[in-house]
Amino acid sequence: MSLNFDPSYALEFDFGRGQIRMAKAGERVVIPCDALLALCQGASEHAVRDFGRRLGTEAGRVMNDRLGEAWQASLETVLEHLGGELALMGLGSLGLERWGQALVLSFSHSPLGGAGDLLLGSVLEGAMQRSFGRDTVAIKLMRDDQKVRFLMAGHAGASKAGDWLSQGVAWGDVLSRLATRGAS
Amino acid sequence: MNQNVERLQELLARVRRNAALPRTLVSASVPEPTADVYDRDSAPAYNVPDAEFTVEEVFFESQPPAEPEFTSQPAAQASATLDASVDELLLEDPFPSVPPGPSYSEVLEEEPIPLVSVASPHALDQEEDVSGVMAIPEFSDEQPEELLEDDIVEMTAAEAELPNVTHALDELNFDDDDLGDKRSAPPSSEEPPASSSRSKIAGTMDEALARAAEQIQLEEGREIPLKTPPPESGPQAAVALPAGLHALHAPDIEELLEADILSSGGVQAALPTAEQLGQTIDLEDARGPSLELDQPAAFHAEPLHEDPSNEELEVTLPGREFAGGYHDDLMLPPEARQELDAHQQRVNADSVPPPPESLAQYPGSPPEVALGGFAPAIAPSSVTTDSYSEGVSTVTVDAPSHAEFAPELLARPDIGPGPVAKFIRTEAPRPKTFMELLDSSLALGSD
Repeated sequence: MSLNFDPSYALEFDFGRGQIRMAKAGERVVIPCDALLALCQGASEHAVRDFGRRLGTEAGRVMNDRLGEAWQASLETVLEHLGGELALMGLGSLGLERWGQALVLSFSHSPLGGAGDLLLGSVLEGAMQRSFGRDTVAIKLMRDDQKVRFLMAGHAGASKAGDWLSQGVAWGDVLSRLATRGAS
Repeated sequence: MNQNVERLQELLARVRRNAALPRTLVSASVPEPTADVYDRDSAPAYNVPDAEFTVEEVFFESQPPAEPEFTSQPAAQASATLDASVDELLLEDPFPSVPPGPSYSEVLEEEPIPLVSVASPHALDQEEDVSGVMAIPEFSDEQPEELLEDDIVEMTAAEAELPNVTHALDELNFDDDDLGDKRSAPPSSEEPPASSSRSKIAGTMDEALARAAEQIQLEEGREIPLKTPPPESGPQAAVALPAGLHALHAPDIEELLEADILSSGGVQAALPTAEQLGQTIDLEDARGPSLELDQPAAFHAEPLHEDPSNEELEVTLPGREFAGGYHDDLMLPPEARQELDAHQQRVNADSVPPPPESLAQYPGSPPEVALGGFAPAIAPSSVTTDSYSEGVSTVTVDAPSHAEFAPELLARPDIGPGPVAKFIRTEAPRPKTFMELLDSSLALGSD
């Protein structure tokens, strides 16, 4: 199993035909970020989620093709390959945090900004579904200028975390409560 | 008037007599001897057959025969046999109503127009008018009496006998091919139209003046014709109206004005005429009690404050002694007790500024309370802080002494110094694969 992500010749620009292809994938379209954000803001939440999951599914499929058996991949390997695919899409730099038993994925330097958080969380959900066959919910824990964190949880944990977050509980306390309730 | 009637009747009788004369025989016999006239006067050396004499040949000849001579010559010849004054008669008419002459080809194909039928066989004098009624002395037994020319003009046989006119119009035959029928047509059909009955132009000025005077004098005694003649047709005779009908008279302005004055101010204004009444139905008298409408009394508007009945309905609302006050007997609802306590606690908590440095400035300038006696917790008289560290942990607010309804303040009991939180570091097993971490994360929150 290749542990290193090699982005060489990942993208192929065919100027004669005016097309952009990604290795082991189909054609790509380079579009301005503002246009994509305007489209996401004009569309409904369901449509944005579906669009993001389609992007994550594509990234997870490519990662599986690269890794072969993704369920045996370590944290570093998944982060490297999945982060590499998302970086090729230009969505930002993928990060991984482990808070006790909680898995937190983050995006840094995303060009979409705060308006694209819903899209980014949906991308992660699609990637988890396609790579590992798990239905996950990405709950946005926090966001600052550079980074946005998503808690990858199930439906029950996501519901509780959402309630606490809406009540103003700090995202650290939410993780602590989830860890305490889960341990008990 | 009676003389005029008698004269008109005599004239009518004369006209009827003259109309009954076989005058058409004279005119009908005119076209017949045209061939003889040709043979006798012009005497052509060679008679061209009708089949060889075509229109094209006539038009392409170098010297076509003169049309006026050809058309007028037979009529003149024929009239010469009866009366040689026809040409003079035609020439005397200043406004001949003869239609335009036929073309050369028509003249050749058709028989000559019997112009003689219009003319009178008798030579007319210069003073006499050319009218549609001609006296024929050869066929009349008695000598015609002297008539005015206006009488002759205005009364003809066709106009005097209206039923005969309509009957003659019904029997009119517009078929031009049948010349035999035209010859045997009644004399009325050959009479000149009304437009041809024009007065002869006077030769001298005296004659014209005399004729105008006679015309004016005559018109004063006759009625105004109902039908206005067209301008080109000249004077038209008045049609004799049937019995019972008379021409409308011009309304007399003076009579109308007098009637108007009488109707406006006189007694006759209230009385309708018999035509206006028609079938008048008298209404029955009203049954039941009779109602009389009395004139209502004059309404005088009076001021409302003087009406005692209205004054009883007015109730003066009790004024508020002070804004935001409550009655002393008003009991606090039991369920509101807890909310009131919580509210007072929040007010006390908000009254404490977070930074200590701002808190030092607060007692120096206490805000004035607009609502006297309520919400005294907003303006505490004294604030004490018990701090175990630099932060404020407990705040006690005393209510002002002048508060009439002071809320019950509950102070949180003092808490001794001690650790607020305790963090225990636990060594969580590191998952070997991403799949394990994901599954453990998905299990979070599930009871």
